[in-house]
Amino acid sequence: MSLPAVISDLRRIAGHDAVLDRPEDLMLYEYDGGVRKSTPGAVVFPQTAQHVSRIMRAASAARIPVVARGAGTGLSGGAISQAGGIVIAFSRMNRILEVDVENLRAVVQPGVVNLQLSEYVSHLGLYFAPDPSSQKACTIGGNVAENSGGPHTLLHGVTVNHVTGVEVVLPNGEIVHFGGKAAESAGYDLTGFFVGSEGTIGIATAITVRLLRKPEQVATLLGIFESVDDAARTVSAITSVGITPAALEMLDGWTLRTIEAFCHAGYPLDAGAVLLIEVEGLREAVEEQAIAVREVCLAQKARDVRRARNEEERALLWKGRKMAFAALGRVSPSYYTQDGVVPRSKIPAVLQHIGDVGRKYDLVIGNVFHAGDGNLHPLILFDMRDAGQFQRVLAASEDILQYCINVGGSITGEHGVGMEKRDMMPHLFSDEELDVMIGLRNVFNGNQILNPEKMLPVPRMCREISGPSRNAVLAQEGM
Amino acid sequence: MSTAGTAVRFARELRDICGAGHVVEDAARLEGARIFGVIPALAVEPASSEEIAAILRFANEHGLNVVPTGGFTWQQTGSAPESVDVLLYTSRLAEVEHYDPGDLTVGVGAGCTVAQLASMVRRDGLLYAADPQLPERTTVGGLLATGVTGPLRHAYGGLRDYCIGIRFVTGDGRRGKGGGRVVKNVAGYDMMKLLIGSWGTLAIITGASFKLFPAPRQTKTFIAGFATSAEAISYRNLVLRSPLSPICLELVSPEAAAALSGSNAAGAWSLHVRATGSDAVLARYRSELGSAISQELEGTAEDERWRAVADFPHTVSQQHPDCLLVALWLALADVQPVLEDLQSVAAGNQLAVAAVGRVGVGHLLAALWPASPRAELVAAASALCERLPADSSMAVLRRPGDAARACVRRTPTDVDSMRAVKQALDPKDILNRGRFSL
Repeated sequence: MSLPAVISDLRRIAGHDAVLDRPEDLMLYEYDGGVRKSTPGAVVFPQTAQHVSRIMRAASAARIPVVARGAGTGLSGGAISQAGGIVIAFSRMNRILEVDVENLRAVVQPGVVNLQLSEYVSHLGLYFAPDPSSQKACTIGGNVAENSGGPHTLLHGVTVNHVTGVEVVLPNGEIVHFGGKAAESAGYDLTGFFVGSEGTIGIATAITVRLLRKPEQVATLLGIFESVDDAARTVSAITSVGITPAALEMLDGWTLRTIEAFCHAGYPLDAGAVLLIEVEGLREAVEEQAIAVREVCLAQKARDVRRARNEEERALLWKGRKMAFAALGRVSPSYYTQDGVVPRSKIPAVLQHIGDVGRKYDLVIGNVFHAGDGNLHPLILFDMRDAGQFQRVLAASEDILQYCINVGGSITGEHGVGMEKRDMMPHLFSDEELDVMIGLRNVFNGNQILNPEKMLPVPRMCREISGPSRNAVLAQEGM
Repeated sequence: MSTAGTAVRFARELRDICGAGHVVEDAARLEGARIFGVIPALAVEPASSEEIAAILRFANEHGLNVVPTGGFTWQQTGSAPESVDVLLYTSRLAEVEHYDPGDLTVGVGAGCTVAQLASMVRRDGLLYAADPQLPERTTVGGLLATGVTGPLRHAYGGLRDYCIGIRFVTGDGRRGKGGGRVVKNVAGYDMMKLLIGSWGTLAIITGASFKLFPAPRQTKTFIAGFATSAEAISYRNLVLRSPLSPICLELVSPEAAAALSGSNAAGAWSLHVRATGSDAVLARYRSELGSAISQELEGTAEDERWRAVADFPHTVSQQHPDCLLVALWLALADVQPVLEDLQSVAAGNQLAVAAVGRVGVGHLLAALWPASPRAELVAAASALCERLPADSSMAVLRRPGDAARACVRRTPTDVDSMRAVKQALDPKDILNRGRFSL
């Protein structure tokens, strides 16, 4: 079946006004927060799981690839369509279906914006813990696909630690449930397996998440250092006194000055680096930990340690951190964000290496990152119009990620592999290890209708499909 | 079932893989490793994932049933295997693969015991947060395969929350990996989640990496007693709504208390609240917890109590060899109704029941055993399973030899998808064949 025929199908399924296919409309859906582009053939806005199921059946029958999309804030190309493919956009499935205070759960549709959920339950003293920097825009469906993190994942964990159940539409259109409201479920943990599968095995249409009680007290401290080395050493020193902060973020001098020029968060302009440290919990414990953290910072040669005196000051310190990306947008036409992870003890060494890479490729690289869990976000500035420079950016990125792998780390901590790091997967996994993952993907998505050519390296995808398919009928039809 | 003759023939080939000294044919040793009366034809002790892959490929060729085992602490579970052609011990995979206290991570081979791992990191002031029964015997591989941990589940999460990497060999003999050595990592599918609690039906776990935590420097346990489970759960709700964040919040039923203390006199229901922090923090706990607290424990007495609570499955199985042990995962609001169902189902079927549980996260472990000759263990297990509210899970962790029909299980997760995953990793059904039907 041709794309125009499928588009009429999509209109019959989701409604005439729920499908876009004019080039000027499709342009808005050809990119995400990363650097790649690809124009879809159609965008459809389902309103129910049944719609999604019927869309999947129609797409499977026509063999047109499909990708699910939340807000398009992802940084790895995960929500970008194949050229001429179908984007299922979830902006009309954005309802909070249930808030179950007694069980500390909420059930949401995938298009619910991350921060909206926390705001919605705030009056109950509750919140949703995963807090990506894009939380004002990104959706919980997207968070589930990428297993997103954020500053406060140091204490509370990433998205998978907060999802107990999902309703999923499989590529064959079947609607299934993994898990529920209980913290764990008997049998294989397909809920946990699904989270972070980057839209390659199914599409979540309802998500059951944990809600946490807000802590009694929060202390937010700003440690000011002369050098990134001193700040980096402080990271390990804090946990060695028995404290797990709720968040432990680092900004290097260049980045904090850029942010300060943009939004006046109160960062000192002449610092080599700052640490943004938050501890939370019982009042008595927080007061003791705030004192201990201050002492550790000073022992590691911090010039000063400031503590937010009220909610406004706290919000301002965080605003600086969360606006880092926007601030860079003012000083450079484009920037490329990386997401490498290293063991925490390797932070000083990796920062040194990133400095060397910047010099080697003649690029400006800022560093703003989740220091507590070793998750780096080097921000490489460039101008997309300069093709030669862009090639240097890609080479520099690969160099940094290879270094992360060499010291025992990973190529992505929270943004996902997507398209952009797909070809680095063989540096992290052997052929046999990738083969096991491909076999599992093929169980659910053997015909690669759903988000093809993502996460797992491409040359392997041209091979014959190995392993059995979950749906014998589809397999027999050779789709 | 393989005959003695074929077992001898296989032994020769397995010796080529593992070395002559690591294929066990000693009748007495094999006899001691029987599972519901089924004696393994032979046992192997491979030293590497390469050897395990070779063994599994060999088993695939010959259709052998392979049963992996760590400390042999949870083998009295599932259906009786038709045969155990190869019992596979992971004990020689016990090396420390990576450990830097400053990274708060550690990686070990599957055969490393939980006690070895916990004591190694404890010396550096760190905590390995899994506290299963029998840590001296429980191996890391067995721990992950069963997914059964202890009271620290309340504050530190489950294995799914702090296992950051896993190495394994699939049923069809491929060496796989998920995650890595760093605390945050989303590259590739989350194989940890798939294998935790898979009971050795998908792959043989060969090693794993974990996130560690700063060890609590001072703890105290506050115990409140109640006449009924309803009162205990009301008190749980007060604690959950308070600003307190204890590291354990454990319900102990009267019969469980008796089992743990080795006495026959069943006392009251109790809630054990374990707190960590400075003197000032602990004083705050005392004032918030109020007059319900009848006992406080610290030091050795406190450690011993928590060791006993974690060992509940073992202790109750020793005292009541004919007991059935079930694990339940429930929404928080369902804990009290299910506790009532548990008591009424037990009474209606002439059974005694003892339960402990991480009630702050909706997890219960319950033992049921005959209180009279007319007791109906199988009927009770089915009745309990049927009465469970939506979204609940139940799994039988241990059963007496004569209660095969009690292997009920309930889960909200799509079973066809589970079958498909099994098919992808162990297509010839080599691992634990016939023991855990999906």
